[in-house]
Order: sequence, then C-alpha cells, then structure tokens
Amino acid sequence: MIEIRDLVFRVLRIGHLVVPEGTTALIGSNGSGKTTLLRLMAGLARPDSGSITVDGMVPVPGSAGFVDEYPDRNALFSRLADELAGPLRFRHVPCEEVDRRVRKVAATAGLEDHLERSMDTLSGGEKVLAALLSALISSPGILILDEFDSHLDYDSLLLAEDLISSSGARTVVRCTQNMDLAAQCGRVIVLHRGMVLHAGSPEEVFSTLEGTCCYPFSRRAGR
Amino acid sequence: MKLSLSSVEWNAGSWKFHADASFTPGVHLVSGRVGSGKTTLALLSARLLQPHAGAVEYEDIRSYTLSFQYPEYHITGSTLHEEAESYGVDPSAACARAGLAGRGHEDPFRLSRGELKLFQLSCLFMRRWDLLILDEPFSALDCRGKLAVCRSIGENRSGIVLVSTHEQHILPKTDYLWEMRTGDLIFRGPLPEAITAWESAPGPIRMLRGQGVIPANLTRDDILEAECRMHE
Repeated sequence: MIEIRDLVFRVLRIGHLVVPEGTTALIGSNGSGKTTLLRLMAGLARPDSGSITVDGMVPVPGSAGFVDEYPDRNALFSRLADELAGPLRFRHVPCEEVDRRVRKVAATAGLEDHLERSMDTLSGGEKVLAALLSALISSPGILILDEFDSHLDYDSLLLAEDLISSSGARTVVRCTQNMDLAAQCGRVIVLHRGMVLHAGSPEEVFSTLEGTCCYPFSRRAGR
Repeated sequence: MKLSLSSVEWNAGSWKFHADASFTPGVHLVSGRVGSGKTTLALLSARLLQPHAGAVEYEDIRSYTLSFQYPEYHITGSTLHEEAESYGVDPSAACARAGLAGRGHEDPFRLSRGELKLFQLSCLFMRRWDLLILDEPFSALDCRGKLAVCRSIGENRSGIVLVSTHEQHILPKTDYLWEMRTGDLIFRGPLPEAITAWESAPGPIRMLRGQGVIPANLTRDDILEAECRMHE
C-alpha cells in the first residue's frame, strides 16, 4: 500500500491519498503532475513537505521496478543483455543465474535474438519493452510505469499486459493516456493541476468523464 | 508534388528495410509492430538516412520537415521563447497554441513530456509544409492534445503528410494506409477499403471489424459513428 499525507512538491498538492495493493491507473491532462507523483512513489524524488510511504517505508531508488516515460532514460548499459542483467548483477545474483534469467525474460518478449544489440539501435518500442523487462527481472513488489504504452503497437501492448499481470508485483501504479487500459485497472486516480480530482473504481471515476474524449472506447462499446 | 522511394534498401546487420513507394498529397498513415521499420522509413524519407540501395526522390517538394519520435531530440534553445524562434515562428503564438501562454521564459526540459511534445508540434504546425513527416506524433499527448494534432494534420493535407503511429484511439482523417512488416513497406490502399486488410490495426478498429462494422475513416467521430452502428 502507498500512502501520501500533506504532500507538497512542485505542482503537487495532495492532502491524503491511499493507493491500495493491486493495479492503479494515474490519468490526467499533460502537466497535471503524473510523472512527478510516480517518481515520488519510486523514491526517485523527495517531497518538499509531507510524506509518502510504501508499505510503511520511505521509498528509496531501486525499491520499485520503474519504467521512465523517456525511453532513452531507462538504459544504463550499451548492450541489451547487460541492460536486462543490471538489476540482478546489482543484487549480486550468481552469473549463471543471471544469464539464465536474462535469456528467459528476453524470450518472453521475443527479444532473445537481440541480446547482443546495442541499446541505441533498438526502436522506441523495443527500448520500452527492454525497460519493462529490466524492471520485471528482479521480481519487484512494486511496479511504477510511466506511460510506456504509448510506444507500443496493439499486439506488443497485449504482450506487455501479460508480462505485467504475471509479474507477481503486489502493487502496480501506471500512468497512461490510453483510457481503455486505465479502465482495466482496479482503481483510477485523476490528477488535475497537481491535485486529486477523482479516485475510485473505474466505474466511479469514468462515470464523471462520460461525454469527454477521456471516456474509454471499451465502456461505450460494451454498453 | 511527390515523394518516391524507388527500390530503397537499408540494412542494419541482418535486419533489412525495403520500400518501393510513392507518396502524393494527402495524409498517409503508417503502422506496424515495434521494430518493423517505421522510424527508418521516416528518416529515409526525410533524407536523414542515406539508402544503401535505391533512391529517395522529391518532386516539387520545396519545404519539408520531420518531427522526431522523441520531442527532447528537437531542443536547441534554453527557453521556450528561444526554441520557438529556432523554428522561425512567433514565440508567443507558439506558446499559446500549445496551451503554454505566458510561459515562454521556461526551460523546455522543465515541461512535462506531453507539454513538450505539443509545443514542438505546435511550432511545426505554424508553417505549411510540402512534406511533413511525423514520427509518433501522439505519444505522451492527452486526448485534447491528440485531437488538436489531428486538426493540424488536416490543415496540412494539401501537402504530403506521413504519419507513423501506434496510437489506438485518436487518429487523423487519413487518405492512404501503409504498414511496415519486418522491414517491408506495404501499401494497403485508400480508406475505408484498406481497413479490412489492416493487420496492425488499433484495438478499437479490430473490435469494430470483428462485429462486421467498418468505420468510414479513422477519426474519433468515425469510430463513434461506427460504434453506434454496431449497436443498431
């Protein structure tokens, strides 16, 4: 569970917010503070005032699997195999085990033949898939995903959704502009100018957005 | 006015790109799996990559530009004002068009990615282009930004507009559909006929198609109208 109290940081002003275990979508217009909030949850920034805790602890870098919205900012290494292996090597996992898990995770995304490729030769979508695999390879309990889906075609998106749902992460918080994806989450939070405008089930939240371009196609089509 | 890729080949290791195509005025939408070659097509079409074989030819194209997939690649100024000036457009008007009125003094890298993307596209759309190449113009944009970009694309349709995208829901009115498949550029044809053969179609199109409903085009209004027909 993620809990926020009296948070002030950049554009964000959040009095009290609880993000329970499960999958939560963070939506809102450009500049509403989604990325800022995700970085706080991942321990990549500290609030100016107030608190944010993840399972009762102050988050620190590396405590959550994190995928940045800038595909180029995810990569630490030049070779795909090293990029995937990084989180395991930092945890001193034995080399043979690292190699086995890298090959296994690459195969889940069809990247097993690309392990020797330089990261800068990957397409935008391949970089995002690599970042997702790198975030998942150490089986994190918390997964923070910043709009990685906008770089993926429909079939790759389905693949990524399978990877996320089978990852075993207790808590997934994801920012997206794909409202059909948001509608599949257990909970939706709407940010507006740094404040929480709505938080609740997809049914509760999207009922307030009917008639806008934010209303999910899947909900219209399934009526 | 015509962009021609005549037997164009470009290779990276064992991966091969091939295209034999002509693009005339109108909106051309290119889709395809990740890594299929969409960005390579954009770079070759903008002459930022030289083909290893074949030729990229411009006919009566006097102005052209490419919007990169990553808006941060475009930044040359330390403020939005400087950035807009680098495009030769009025900074105040560019900021206002992107919903950033009064923020011309800000560092582009302090914007959210969606704000930066819309600002960079707004600078481009303030001029008219004979050839406008847009690589993933919708990524990071909220739905209002996507609709604004669709309108701007429509305003430039007297030229050649090449749009590569993974966008699933909000697309521009499109004249011709193309697909990249493992390095090969395939022409699917004019809309709406091309929709039935569109392999990498977005989820909503697949869902409508599965119900036997073909939208007249790809805009949000077309999808909404088709969705209504599905319930008739």
